Amino acid sequence: MIFSARHVKKNILMETKGKILIVIPAFNEERSLEKVVGEVQAYFPPAEVLVVNDGSSDLTSEKAKACGVMVLDLPFNLGIGGAMQAGYKYAYEKDYDIVVQVDGDGQHDPKEIPKLLQSLKEKQVDMVIGSRFITHSAYKISIMRRLGSYILSGVISCLIKQKITDPTAGFRAANRKAIRLFAFYYPQDYPEPEVLVLLSKSGLKIAEVLVKMKQRYSGESSITKIRSIYYMVKVLLAIFVDCFKKAPLLE
Amino acid sequence: MLIKIQIIIGLLSIVFLLITFELIRKNRLREEYAILWLFTGIAIFIFSLWPEFFLSQFFNRITGLYYLSAVVMIAFVFLLLIVFHFSVVISRLTEQNKDLTQRHAMLELEFNEFKKRYLSTGDRSS
Repeated sequence: MIFSARHVKKNILMETKGKILIVIPAFNEERSLEKVVGEVQAYFPPAEVLVVNDGSSDLTSEKAKACGVMVLDLPFNLGIGGAMQAGYKYAYEKDYDIVVQVDGDGQHDPKEIPKLLQSLKEKQVDMVIGSRFITHSAYKISIMRRLGSYILSGVISCLIKQKITDPTAGFRAANRKAIRLFAFYYPQDYPEPEVLVLLSKSGLKIAEVLVKMKQRYSGESSITKIRSIYYMVKVLLAIFVDCFKKAPLLE
Repeated sequence: MLIKIQIIIGLLSIVFLLITFELIRKNRLREEYAILWLFTGIAIFIFSLWPEFFLSQFFNRITGLYYLSAVVMIAFVFLLLIVFHFSVVISRLTEQNKDLTQRHAMLELEFNEFKKRYLSTGDRSS
């Protein structure tokens, strides 16, 4: 059965009574942030939006505040892990029930947020990842990155004994249980793939759902072609270390 | 020859210990970080008192190392311990620093919203 975005949105609105927080981590994203925030507000009005300004040196914070959303200003750059965790800590303290991560560069389509929320509810999982690759989508991506992604997803799928097609995607929704876990512990170096290992060690469930992605409005991917091999090695090393870490204990 | 080196090393270790004590006394060096340095100073001092015993008998029998390599070895082990200790300390500081930063940002947001609400209600009443 095919749902239109609007139809799904209505369903979600009726079914989820909890508070939803959209967290947008942003580091020097002044050119795209307004557009992203605007789209989120337009397509998903019931949610509150929190922009985490990760010590930007440009007008990211001012532009976000001008949009009328909440802004967490980190006094200096912590990296994506620290910025995301700040969002989760805020959500935990303010008793939000669901957190949706959306990148500030505009490659995630806010129209797909209801899809994430719906599978979070229907599949009874603790975190949903918006994947680019579940089926062969038309999403354009370089061969190097596709290969890297392939190896990474293979290793992670093996480790957590569940098929994950897009472990580096930052388009995610997390429920209260996952929010609580992340508020206490969140991987700092390569949070997207490492979080999957963390979740599986802590006994939380993960699901993937296919989403459409857009080309980013501005900014470069943090992974350039030359660095992608280096990135792969470091991520695999970090994941390897994660396997031996004690899972954080939450009573 | 050996007695000269003994005196120099002995004096150096005493100066080193005095500096460490002085820094702790002035709160320039925290005790927890100073303990390894104190141990190092004391070890060097004891070592300078009976170098023969430590190098040609005791240490030699345990490790099979001879004079110069033994000195290098001892110095290396101590430096390794201290540097490792520093890595542990820096990791902890980084973690605490991150938590403080996040806390600070959250409080700032909270404060700004409170200020906004307070100012708007204040305007209405006046």
